[in-house]
Amino acid sequence: MTSHFLNLLIFSIIVATFFAFLTRNEPRARWRLGLILGGSMLFLSLALAWIMYPFPVR
Amino acid sequence: MGSRDVAGSPASTEGRHRHLALACALAWALPGAGHWYLGKRARAGVFFCLVTLSFVLGAALHGRFSVRDRRAPLLSTLQVVACLGTGPLEIVSRSFLYGGPIYFLPEEDSILTSEGRRPNTPVGRLLRSRNEARDSAYGTAYLWTAGLMNLLLILDVFDIGIGRKD
Repeated sequence: MTSHFLNLLIFSIIVATFFAFLTRNEPRARWRLGLILGGSMLFLSLALAWIMYPFPVR
Repeated sequence: MGSRDVAGSPASTEGRHRHLALACALAWALPGAGHWYLGKRARAGVFFCLVTLSFVLGAALHGRFSVRDRRAPLLSTLQVVACLGTGPLEIVSRSFLYGGPIYFLPEEDSILTSEGRRPNTPVGRLLRSRNEARDSAYGTAYLWTAGLMNLLLILDVFDIGIGRKD
């Protein structure tokens, strides 16, 4: 499984769900935090990748 | 309802401390077990699934089961702590991989020789081969994250146990 995006997606879901359950007790608040965290990880990673795109790999 | 409130129980201080220590030990031994012991059953199930999934993905994707390396003592020690956070599951997996619970890089591989950093021992060679796998970076992220999440769970169990958190 070497798809960077797939790994990013799975990792974001795992971590966002973990922190949502760790820090919130209400289902609604968990959903909200999970979506914010997961979405932020995805969006910021893609944004960073886009910014770094012009730079050479090595 | 059904929760084991260690902080509010009328038992002696020593008994409360024992309950708290047991809850934290269970949390390390099996992800989610500490929450289960304290009566947080639903949360325990979710935490068990998340930490185990992360660990299994890490092991399957050639994650780095780190060993303490004298060339980078601080970083490699922190990596070992992150790995060990998962508990006995990590120790058993490591034993299958390296043929024993090995946490220190053998001295032959810790010394820089004229050949550079080429590993000489089975542990060093295995570590190198896993590092060179294409998916190793992903696996390592999953593996260390599983351990670090479980360490956070131990702290959470402690907080619940002393009544600082519901």
